[in-house]
Formats: sequence, C-alpha cells, structure tokens
Amino acid sequence: MKSVWKTLGIVFGILTGLYIVLFLVFWFDLDGKALFYGVEPFLKNHYDKMKRKDPLDVEYRTDTENYEY
Amino acid sequence: MKDLKHLIEMEDLLQQAYNKLVKEAQEEGRKAIGYTCYFMPEVLLDLEGCFGVRLRAPNCTSPVMATYYMSGRTCHYGRSLMERALEGGFNFLDAQMATETCTVTCRFQEHLGRMDIIQNPNFFVEFTDIPFKKTENSVLHYQKQLQAHVLDKLHEKFGIDVSDEALMRAIERHNEVCRLVREIGEYRKLDVPTITGYEFAVIQLTTLTCPKDKILGMLRETAEEMKTRKPDLKPTWKVKVCVAGAENDHPDFIKLIESCGALVVADRYCYGSLPGREEIVVEEGQTPLEAIARHYLNTSCCPRFMPQDIMRGRKKYLADICAEYKADGLIIESNKFCEYWSYERTIDALVIPRDFGIPTCSIEKEYINSASGQLRTRFQAFVESVELKKLHAEKGNDHDETE
Amino acid sequence: MTKPNKTGKTLLTRTKKLASDFWNGKPHEERRLGDLYIDKTGLYKHREWRGVKDTMYYFNNIWLYNYAHMIGDMVKYSGPKGPMLFLKGVWRYRWLGQTYLPVMHWFDRGLEGMRGEGLRASAWHYRAMVSETIRQFMRMLEADQKTGGSKEIYDKTIAHDETVWGGIFYPWRDRMDDVPLQMIPYFVTCHVNNHVVLNYIDAAQSIGLPGDPCPMCQAEAGIFLQDDVPEYYPIVITSNEACDGSVGTSVLQDWMMNRPLFAMPQPMQFDDPLVQEHCAREIEECWKFIEEQTGEPFSWNELKKHLEQQNQLQEFEWEKWEVAANTDYYPINGVAQALYRIYQSQDGDREIWHEVDARVKKILEKCVEKKINSFPKTRHRMIAWSCAPLYYSHWCTWAYNCWGLNCIINMDSLMFNMTIRTDSYENTLQDMALYHEWAPMRRMAVGGMHHIFELWEYMEKFHCDMVMMYDQLQCKGMQGVHGLFEDEFRARNIHAIWMPHALPDKRTVSRSEIRGIINDYMTTIMHEEPLDPTLLEFDDSEGW
Repeated sequence: MKSVWKTLGIVFGILTGLYIVLFLVFWFDLDGKALFYGVEPFLKNHYDKMKRKDPLDVEYRTDTENYEY
Repeated sequence: MKDLKHLIEMEDLLQQAYNKLVKEAQEEGRKAIGYTCYFMPEVLLDLEGCFGVRLRAPNCTSPVMATYYMSGRTCHYGRSLMERALEGGFNFLDAQMATETCTVTCRFQEHLGRMDIIQNPNFFVEFTDIPFKKTENSVLHYQKQLQAHVLDKLHEKFGIDVSDEALMRAIERHNEVCRLVREIGEYRKLDVPTITGYEFAVIQLTTLTCPKDKILGMLRETAEEMKTRKPDLKPTWKVKVCVAGAENDHPDFIKLIESCGALVVADRYCYGSLPGREEIVVEEGQTPLEAIARHYLNTSCCPRFMPQDIMRGRKKYLADICAEYKADGLIIESNKFCEYWSYERTIDALVIPRDFGIPTCSIEKEYINSASGQLRTRFQAFVESVELKKLHAEKGNDHDETE
Repeated sequence: MTKPNKTGKTLLTRTKKLASDFWNGKPHEERRLGDLYIDKTGLYKHREWRGVKDTMYYFNNIWLYNYAHMIGDMVKYSGPKGPMLFLKGVWRYRWLGQTYLPVMHWFDRGLEGMRGEGLRASAWHYRAMVSETIRQFMRMLEADQKTGGSKEIYDKTIAHDETVWGGIFYPWRDRMDDVPLQMIPYFVTCHVNNHVVLNYIDAAQSIGLPGDPCPMCQAEAGIFLQDDVPEYYPIVITSNEACDGSVGTSVLQDWMMNRPLFAMPQPMQFDDPLVQEHCAREIEECWKFIEEQTGEPFSWNELKKHLEQQNQLQEFEWEKWEVAANTDYYPINGVAQALYRIYQSQDGDREIWHEVDARVKKILEKCVEKKINSFPKTRHRMIAWSCAPLYYSHWCTWAYNCWGLNCIINMDSLMFNMTIRTDSYENTLQDMALYHEWAPMRRMAVGGMHHIFELWEYMEKFHCDMVMMYDQLQCKGMQGVHGLFEDEFRARNIHAIWMPHALPDKRTVSRSEIRGIINDYMTTIMHEEPLDPTLLEFDDSEGW
C-alpha cells in the first residue's frame, strides 16, 4: 500500500514538475524563442538549399481535351 | 513606298473620339454608342440608326483627375478614358454599352453610370455579362445577354429596328468592312510586304472608331490602291514581327517598333485585327444573333477565357499567326497594371520560344508611351538578336530565343 | 499605517493593488503591453499576465490544449501514422514547416489583452481554424505522391482553387474529399508566418511576372513555380474568383499542374436574373466532369445533408451578427470574427465548425444573459471594409488595446449571406449558383459599384461610427473606386482611416507603418489619447 502511495506520489511529483516546466516555457515564451532562433533558421536553410524541379521543364501540351458536357 | 491616299485623313480622324464623321452621323440623327471591348459586338451597335465608337483617349498623357478617382495604381488606359470623359471628350455619346470584362475598364464605365460625367441628359450605361468559356452554355448565355442588354435596350431607348432582317443587313455591312480590312491586311503576308504595320493600324483603328458607312469609300479605294502598290526598292526593315498583347490603340507604338527595324506584320492585340476582322457567317438554322454570339466567342483570343484547351490553344494560335504572316519574331506587350496580360505575357514569353522556336520580346508599356527611349532600346536589341539568330540558323547553330 | 511612498500610496494600498493586479490582471490603461516585446522579433520577454483565472485559462485551455490537439488532430485525421506524415511534410514543404510550428504565436498576437468570455470565444474560433487546417494538410500529405502518399487516397481527392466554395463537392463527401490548392499553403500561411509567402511572390517575379498584379495571385502562382504544392489530386476545378489576377494565375498554375482541369467561372453581373441559369449549368457541368473523371456518381442525399448542416452554421452566424449589431455583449474580437467566418463559409460544412459553434453559442448566450461586455474600453465601433492585410489581420487586437477601436464586423464576413433551399433539386441548384457568385472578395467587389457602397447600410445596421478602409494597393477593383469613396466619406462626414497594404506582402507597407497611420489619425483628427501608449510604436519587423 505504501509503495502504491509512493508511486502515486512520484507520478504526481513528476506531473507537477512537468506542469511547472511547461508553465515556465509558456510564461517566458520559450517555445517562441526556440522556434524563432533555432528551428526556423534551420528549416529555412534546409528549404533554401532544397533542389527543386525547374518549372520551365514542365511540358505544355496545346492539344488538351475540351471538357464540355 | 508611295503614300496611301487616305492615310492622312484617317490619321486626322484618330486625333479625337468625337471626329468629323461621328459628328456627321449624329447630325443625321444616328445615335453614338460607346464601347471598349471586343466582347461588345460592334455589329450590333452598327444597326441602322446607331453606330459604335470604340473608345480611345488619344494624346492623354497625364490623367490627373482620373487618378484621383481610380488611383495611380490602375491601368493607364482605363484612367485615360476616365480623364477624357471628365474633360468632356465623350459628351457626344448617347449610350455606353459596357462589359465587365476587365476590372479597370469596368470601373471606368461604372463611373460613367454613377457620376454625372457625360453631359447628355439621355445618356445611359448598360452592362452585359460576358462568359469566360466558349461552350454551348456560354453561347446561349451570351446570346440572351446581348438580346436583353443590347438589342432590347437599343430598341427601347432609341427605337432601333433589331429584327432579324435588320441584323442580317448589319452583318452584311460589317462583313464588307471586314473583307476590305482583311484584303488590305493580306499584303502583310508577302515576303516583302507592301503595307507597313503603322499604316494598317491606322486603317484598322479607323474602322473601330468611325461610323463604318462613312469610311467604306476610303477603304474601298485603299484596297484598290494596294493592288498596284510597290514595295520600297530597299526595305527599311530588318526583320518582321507579330505584335501581340494587351490594349493598344496608338499607331505610334507600332511606328516606334518599325523605326527600330522591325516591320509589324500581324496585330494580335486588343483593337487589332487578329481576331476582329473575320466575317460573320450565319449558318443554316441559326438566327443572326446566335451567329453573332458564336462568332465573337469563337474568334476571341482574350486571356480571360479559362478552359484548359482554350488557355493552351492561344499559344498555338500565336505561333500559327507568326507562321502565316512570316514573322521572324514576336513582340508580346502588356500595359502596366493589366493583370490578364501580365500573366499571359509571362507565359507566352516562356512557352513560345521554347516550344515553337519563335524569338520573343516581352515588354511592359504604358497606354501612352512616354518612356519610348527605353522601349526603343529594347526593340533595337531584339531586332539585333533576331538578325543574329537568322545568321546562326544559316550556319546551323542554335541560339537563345528570348530577349 | 506605513509611510506613503513617492506617489503618496501607502504600503497597504500598494499591496492591495499588487494583489488585485495579480488576481484580476492590470486595468487596461496600466497594462503596458508594448513593454513585453523583444525588439524586432515580436517575441515576448514573457507572456502577458491576465490575472490568475485568465492566465491559467490561457495556459491550460489555449496553449497546452492547442499544442496537444495539434498532435491529436494529426492522429484523429490520419491515424497513428499522422505525426510521421506531418514530419515528412515539414521536411518537404516550406509552407508547412515554417508556418505550423509557430502557430501558438498566431494565437498570442490575435488574443493579446483579451480577458474573460471574449478570450474564450475568440480562442475557440482559432482552435477551429487550426483543426480544419490540420485536416486539410493531412489529407494532402496522405495523398501526396511526392512524399510517398497513398495512390488510393490520391485518386479520391479533388483539388480546387481556394475561391471555389467547398459546397460544390458535397455530393461526394461520403466517398471522396476535396482540398483547396492554396488555402493552406498560401492563405493561412500569411496569417501565421508572414515571411513564408515572400518566397513565393519572388518566385513568380523571377520568371518575368511584373510586380504590379495582386500579390495574392502572384504568391499562388509562386507556390507552383517553387514546386511546393503536394501532388495529391488527379483533377482540378478552377474559378474566375476573385479577379482578373486570379484568372491570369490559373494560366500559370495550369501549366505547372498539367492535368485535367475544369474551369467553373461565375458570372460577374450577379444581380441580373438572366445569369443564374448559366451559372447553375456551369455547376452541373462541373459535377459531370467529376463523375466522368473519378467514376463516382453524384449523390443528391449527400448534397442535401451537407447543405442542411451548412445552413445551421449560417443561422448561427446570423445570431452572432444580431448580437454584434445590437448589443455591447459580442464576445468575439475582430480578427477571430473575420478569419473564422471567411474560412468556414468558404470551406463549407465540416464537423469542427459545428463543434466550435456549439461552444461559442453557450458563451454568446451567457454574455447576453449576464450583460458581459468583453470590450469595455470601446471608444469607437468600427466596420472594416474591402480586403484585409493578411500579414496584419490582427491589427484589430492592437487597435483595441491601444486606442479602444473595436472592429465589430468586416466586409468578408458579410459575403455569403444566405441559406440554401433543399426542397428540390432546382431550388438547390439555383441557390448554390447565387451562393457561389457571392464568394469572398467578390460579393461586394463585382457586379456593379452599388455593392461596394453597401458599406453605408452595414455601418448603420452594426451601429458603427468609424470605418477602417482597407486600401489594397494592388487590387485594381478597389483602387478603381478610390476617389468615389473619398467623396462619399466627406459627404457623409464619416471618419474613415485608409489602411494601405499589399495583402500578403509586408514589404510594401509594414505593420509598423500601418500602426503609424492609425496613430496619426487618432491623434491629429480624433484628438484622442492612447489607452496604452507603449503600443504606439514598436518594431516587429522580423516577427511572424
């Protein structure tokens, strides 16, 4: 019984700790800061370097169907 | 080449919308009906008792008042028309047959309806809805619109005879003008054309802006004159080009191109003759109005059409014209702030050289080309590049086709 | 008694004040929201303290709830593989990666300074938009052939212009799905992270497109030119809405899409009874195209079912307008009202809209019943007219906090102002045609100038005393009527602030310049003092 309480206490402690950490992330806008200074520049760099299909390679058929019903 | 007999007179007629022939026709009791777009069939406005005037604003360089109403960020053409209207230049109009076919001309025409601009107490503006497709549904819609908003209004307001017989007669008269313009235009297909692009533009514009019966004589004589007209011994041009694109009602723009060594042999732009001067054919079983509706929808190459086959087919049409008129290159133009042609021009400039091998010069211009120096530089460079391409082709080399 | 401090307040008074500020949040005039920003970035030194109840509501029911649901929704819509699909999408598509991660900052910007029921109702609107956005991009990713999506789902997904109303596809909702091409990659993106769209505008101009057409259309073309649209659809439906630029864009898009495309344009002169049959027939042709291309038959029952559900959404919207127009108890702020309404009415019937409307209805009823004014510092009731700057749709939140300008309603909200009859096929088709003609950016913009001047009637109806006149510098339709508006404002003696902008492109007129224009008007013309002077000037040029 004691160990159950202890486990529950630990779980409660962890959840409380997590909750407090999340509140601090929220309060100090750490999510925004991480995204702004870390994630976005990294992704932007990735997208900028990404090899993309040259749009001018796409064929241009002039004999497409007439969709009339 | 020897000067065309009626060219100067035609040039004079283009100096203002209310020219002497318009005045004459009105004095005879006929009604002057303004319009701006190919989608308003001129043949309907040329019924007995009235005549169509496709609006222009020649020599309008600074549309100050219109800029107040329409801001400086709209098409110069629409604003110039507005300016001319505010100046009183369109007070002769009895009605405006309007279309919501491009935003800025639509806004201009809405201003005519909302504000007391046209000093003619009986003046009215009537809008017709124009379809974006060429399907049977669109033809039927267009036909109904023309009946309700053009024919019924002309009859109701001015007592114009809009019977099938009257329409047939209007078609006949219209077709004669078309035949003559096309006949004159055919000389542009010669290896060494016997008419310049400028001369042809003046003739074509005259047919759009004057009562047609009043210029028939001049057209007939010009067609006759063309039969014996000889080209210059030494051509003044280096290459032949097709001009395509947005609204252009200034022959001086064509003159500018030709002064750079490019003879304009085909005119696929708003106010041009391709399309525009094909004869209307009334098939068996068709009413004249149905034939007219079909004709204007089927012949139009406006970038406003949205079906896939039509959007794509327009590129082929341009290539076909270049081949038919033996053009060495294509100048594709759009007016600043014209959204339809901005896109169409961009894609034409990419696809036409790539898929059809036609050298293409893509330019953006104003309604009145005050920046002619810059344009001249562009055209001269293009002419040089086309000449070079010809040389390379003779030597069997390929060449980048877009200027 | 303790000694008074410099301001003459005793320790007890100060303690009471501190306790009150802690418990209730500071009074409006003392908030100094501008001090919270980190210069240039739009980030917060710390988030706003709104009092215990509202701060904890924001933390638990908005911040945590939405972060959790952003993952939950991926699973809800695509099953356990959802998060992985999302990550693949983030790696492949710029608009996804750069936009949907900072989404909570979009909430922050729109909900700044809000309290109580207003905070709750507005946040629910945001929640619905996020959920529907996730549904749409998850469908795209599930079907996306570029990132290894399912061919089976690809075959059952129809793409359409974002300006084609989702209701057109109701007859197949039980077997297939429809996803607009630009709604997520372009439209929503601009609101959440305004940097992303600049890549697409530049891409369009890089192939020679001039800079003057509507930047929305340019961006929509640019997404295709950058090869940044998922390959999720075998067929496409396009439309001429809202303007010449949209028609022009479709030429470029068609080239890049290179697959069967059906154009379903709407008539321009929509007041004309003669055009309705033509429009209805276009819709029918579109249905035949879908049947022919997909082999799936049209279902009247599905159409009827969804239209009836959609009518419920419209009826609630009318209730909302009624409260907004005639009371001070409307709990939804200007940006939530505008974005939710345009999104929902264009998208059509989806489960999330009903879910959120039910929640908002409770809040709305509570506000009316208990006479709760969510915007107690309102000095002017504004109506916003014409199309809004997408990169600064939350200007109304700032304007209320700084000046007490309360944006009650906006033009786009008023577009689809009708329910659709379902008593017979003919009546349904007729109403659908009209509904479709009344699309956003179209209902007031085309079909005659008198529509755009319906402003005066709506001003009266919503009891507004000021106009925020959006001045989209590259919208030819609105620029073309500029002078008449000036004349009318003068003649009617209406206070109107012209807000210049370039829809998605912040480089033309920045947020800061927009604020400057409003500040100037409020000080020099209205001779008013700001409620929160720290919001007058700040630099958020690099912010999302």
